[in-house]
Amino acid sequence: MNDVLVIGAGLSGLVAAWQAVENGRSVRVVAKGWGITHWHAGCIDVLGYYPLDNPEPVVALETAVSRLATEHPQHPYALIRLDNLQTAIEAFKALCATANYPLHGSLTRNWLLPSALGTFRPTCLAPATMIAGDLTDNTPMLIVGFSRWLDFAPALVADNLTHQGIQATHVTLDLPSLRQRKIVTALTIANLMETPAFRAELVNALKPYLSKAGRIGFPAVLGYTQATAVHQTLQKELGRPVFEIPTLPPSIPGMRLHHILLHTIRQKGGMVLEGLEATAATTQNGRITGLYTSAATRHRLHHAHHFILATGGILGGGITTNYTGEITETIFNLPLSTPVNRQSWFRRDFLDPQGHPIYQTGVRVNQQLQPLNENGQPIYENLQAIGTILANWEPIRERSLEGVALATGFIAGRGKTVTSHKTQTTSTSN
Amino acid sequence: MRTYQTEVLVIGGGATGTGVAYDLAQRGFKTILVEKRDLTHGTTGRYHGLLHSGGRYVVKDPKAATECIEENRILRRIMPHCLEDTGGFFVTTPWDDPDFGDRFMEACQATGVPCEEISVAQMLREEPLLNPKISRCFRVPDAAADSFLATQCVAEAARQYGAEVLIYHEVIRVIREGDRVIGVVCHDLVKDEEVSILADMVVNASGAWAGKIAHMVGLEVSVMPGKGVMVAANHRVVNTVVNRCKMPSDGDIIVPVHTVAVIGTTDQRVADPEHFAIERWEIDLMLEEGDKLVPGFRQMRMLRAWAGVRPLYQETKVADTRDVTRAYTLLDHETRDGVMGFITITGGKWTTFRQMAQVTADRVCEKLGVERPCRTHEEPLPALFESDRHTANGYHYLGARLTDIESHKSYGDLVCECELATRAVVEQAIRDGNAHTLDDIRRDVRLGMGPCQGGFCTYRVTGLLHLWRQTPVTESNVALRDFLQERWKGLKPVLWGAQLKQERLDEFIYLSVLNADHLPGEKASRLGPVMYEEEVNNE
Ligand SMILES: Cc1cc2nc3c(=O)[nH]c(=O)nc-3n(C[C@H](O)[C@H](O)[C@H](O)COP(=O)(O)OP(=O)(O)OC[C@H]3O[C@@H](n4cnc5c(N)ncnc54)[C@H](O)[C@@H]3O)c2cc1C
Repeated sequence: MNDVLVIGAGLSGLVAAWQAVENGRSVRVVAKGWGITHWHAGCIDVLGYYPLDNPEPVVALETAVSRLATEHPQHPYALIRLDNLQTAIEAFKALCATANYPLHGSLTRNWLLPSALGTFRPTCLAPATMIAGDLTDNTPMLIVGFSRWLDFAPALVADNLTHQGIQATHVTLDLPSLRQRKIVTALTIANLMETPAFRAELVNALKPYLSKAGRIGFPAVLGYTQATAVHQTLQKELGRPVFEIPTLPPSIPGMRLHHILLHTIRQKGGMVLEGLEATAATTQNGRITGLYTSAATRHRLHHAHHFILATGGILGGGITTNYTGEITETIFNLPLSTPVNRQSWFRRDFLDPQGHPIYQTGVRVNQQLQPLNENGQPIYENLQAIGTILANWEPIRERSLEGVALATGFIAGRGKTVTSHKTQTTSTSN
Repeated sequence: MRTYQTEVLVIGGGATGTGVAYDLAQRGFKTILVEKRDLTHGTTGRYHGLLHSGGRYVVKDPKAATECIEENRILRRIMPHCLEDTGGFFVTTPWDDPDFGDRFMEACQATGVPCEEISVAQMLREEPLLNPKISRCFRVPDAAADSFLATQCVAEAARQYGAEVLIYHEVIRVIREGDRVIGVVCHDLVKDEEVSILADMVVNASGAWAGKIAHMVGLEVSVMPGKGVMVAANHRVVNTVVNRCKMPSDGDIIVPVHTVAVIGTTDQRVADPEHFAIERWEIDLMLEEGDKLVPGFRQMRMLRAWAGVRPLYQETKVADTRDVTRAYTLLDHETRDGVMGFITITGGKWTTFRQMAQVTADRVCEKLGVERPCRTHEEPLPALFESDRHTANGYHYLGARLTDIESHKSYGDLVCECELATRAVVEQAIRDGNAHTLDDIRRDVRLGMGPCQGGFCTYRVTGLLHLWRQTPVTESNVALRDFLQERWKGLKPVLWGAQLKQERLDEFIYLSVLNADHLPGEKASRLGPVMYEEEVNNE
């Protein structure tokens, strides 16, 4: 029997599993599929906008997170201590550095990096492959795209940056190696980037455009498992700083983080099983005793001492809804905190800065991340919930998804009891 | 002020107005058509998608039934590439009066609508998902029709005969000289300037807006907007149009339209043709009624909902909008009100638009004192896409696009994977078309109309638009934001289950990854979508 069974292999689930193996616990992860790592920007966003109606990005992160925790005592950041977030970030940086894919940044200050629309993306941790895109720096940039691939629009990036005061030009390369392919995806280019021949073709094609550019921006496809080497070689060959810009999914930089986590968990004896959908649990005396999964026609029962629920919210599939307005946590049928009725699920505008109330739906937990019943008592003593399944926050509007996933995954995986006294970041009055 | 001079000016770029402009141009009149947004912005772009056999009206409105079957035959001849010959069933479910079937059969005979009763076993062989408790089934020649494509084809035909089509030109004033209407003043929404158009004759073909236009002339024309809500399921659950065999009521037809199946409609009187809500009970009712025809329907993933307004003309007040005749109305304001140079055509159905155009053009000839025969029933409409020339079910049908893509090996060049819109057709729409917004491109090439509702293609098409248009980047930015909002508009009423999950993913892409909510420039443009009203929350 395993010490820990993690349900879900998104960022929070994999972080929990990694921390569990690091702390000598035996782990099994069961997951229907992969999670946010294949979609996101490949950065750790901790808090990008706060308060939500403030269009200016957060700069001083630590202060903003503390303020948020004070002002929103139900927010996941209010439940975990700031120093846990800090420790999680440092540990994750160390992990990636060891894997030769260093991340840069800290809680002191957000980066502002270009998006694939040429907007300024605030983020806490960014891979070394991205940070030369720093928008507080004025060095003129050249944005490079590929004519066979529409998932990155260099003119849009450059023109929006220029509009906002960053000198940027753009070029779209029509490379023979891409032209002869029937289908070009992010992964196609990332894999080609790891071959010297393709890089030579790229560098040669780029040479005529380099003159004024002090740095060169590419879509985030500069290699998959060899990204650091590809990045460094390109910098050398182009004689200028090079940076990646995250673009439409599938996310290559996200897949790199996924790869690092998965590799580490497996190397340390953890087991990650994908293609298994968790369907139900067995319980006894306030404890979870087993978890059923199904794959094709086969059902399986997994036992463990401890269970970690990391199935994601509405986006991840851990919470489902139906036409009658019912909202359900899919495995344990945990009580959910949710807006009252279907008419109040949404606001008028898609991009409303406050977000849509339905997405605040989630599992309410205590500081130990244990799901709570209506009376505020833990439902199962050996169950924790982490990541986007948690209630009362708007990860997408705040740009806090990875920060919460990392911190809560870290705490749950480590398994040490979290001190229950209130900290300076949580409000005592409610 | 920019000024145009023409013989006939037609107001309204729906099926009717476009049809009138085509007919007139074909008869040799110098014609201008103005539409305040894109073609099919009105009811024509928000209808159910059914080429009526007339079956629906045989009992209640025999005149309308006869008009429908006549036009049904003609449209099959002149625009086969805009239709899909699905055939239609009228079925008696356990909720319907079992005796209605006999009345239905008799009425079909009386009105000339071909009808044949088939066995329930045969019906289930053809449509296995239909409710096995259905007791009778009648086959009629209904079909599915693509009004976006059809209207584009008619407009193209009008252009080929020399007509000028001005979209994003909203009539804001009518110029009147004594007893005569001599032209209109339009607001050009794209250039944000006023344009005057002088004409010998003005045809008001503005559908549910006809009363508003007449009002600008100082005339009282009462057009009662009757709102109808439709919901598209993400699955083509039937290949045949399926009607309930009963007096027309809410949610009694499912139409297979391209890759989806559409259930409709409701019928609610609204105050204004542009401002109304899609209400929750309407969605719930559609799901419930859909479930009666196809058990399990309400559990399926719903793609989108929309609503259109029926232009129902009335001289007196009537309570239930469905009791007003659906046959169309031609108002000669010279004889009715003593105002010359102005006629109104309104009411009717999409199915009868050509006939409505014909009688309108006949009246214009009469007014202008010339005799020129109608030929629209004889001449096939032009094809807009290469594939339309080869197959009856043309470009707008997924199968035809797939064939195109496979023969050109262009599967690596898709802008929209859901609807198989290739880079070539999207670029063609941007370069040569009249598209001003991403939504116009959508109507032209079906971009963003599949399950992900623009999740991936919105970014890609914005990139292409920016590349080809060479306009200031803030215009591309607002085009992207307008389109995201436009897709949201129709998603919002049906967001639950898998579609809600999908929408959250689209949010994640556009906010977390692309930070589109912080793009520089305007948040919405005047070309952006007109949102449905918010429903009053009274739970
Ligand atoms: C819910 C519903 C479902 C339907 N389903 C079917 C069906 O399945 N089969 C069928 O045959 N019929 C159907 N109908 C009927 C059919 O859709 C309409 O009869 C037909 O589309 C009307 O076309 P139209 O051109 O007269 O009006 P519209 O399409 O409304 O065209 C009027 C145009 O005038 C424009 N306009 C308004 N004001 C101005 C101005 N000031 N300046 C310039 N332009 C202006 C509007 O933007 C609009 O585009 C349905 C109707 C509804 C409401």
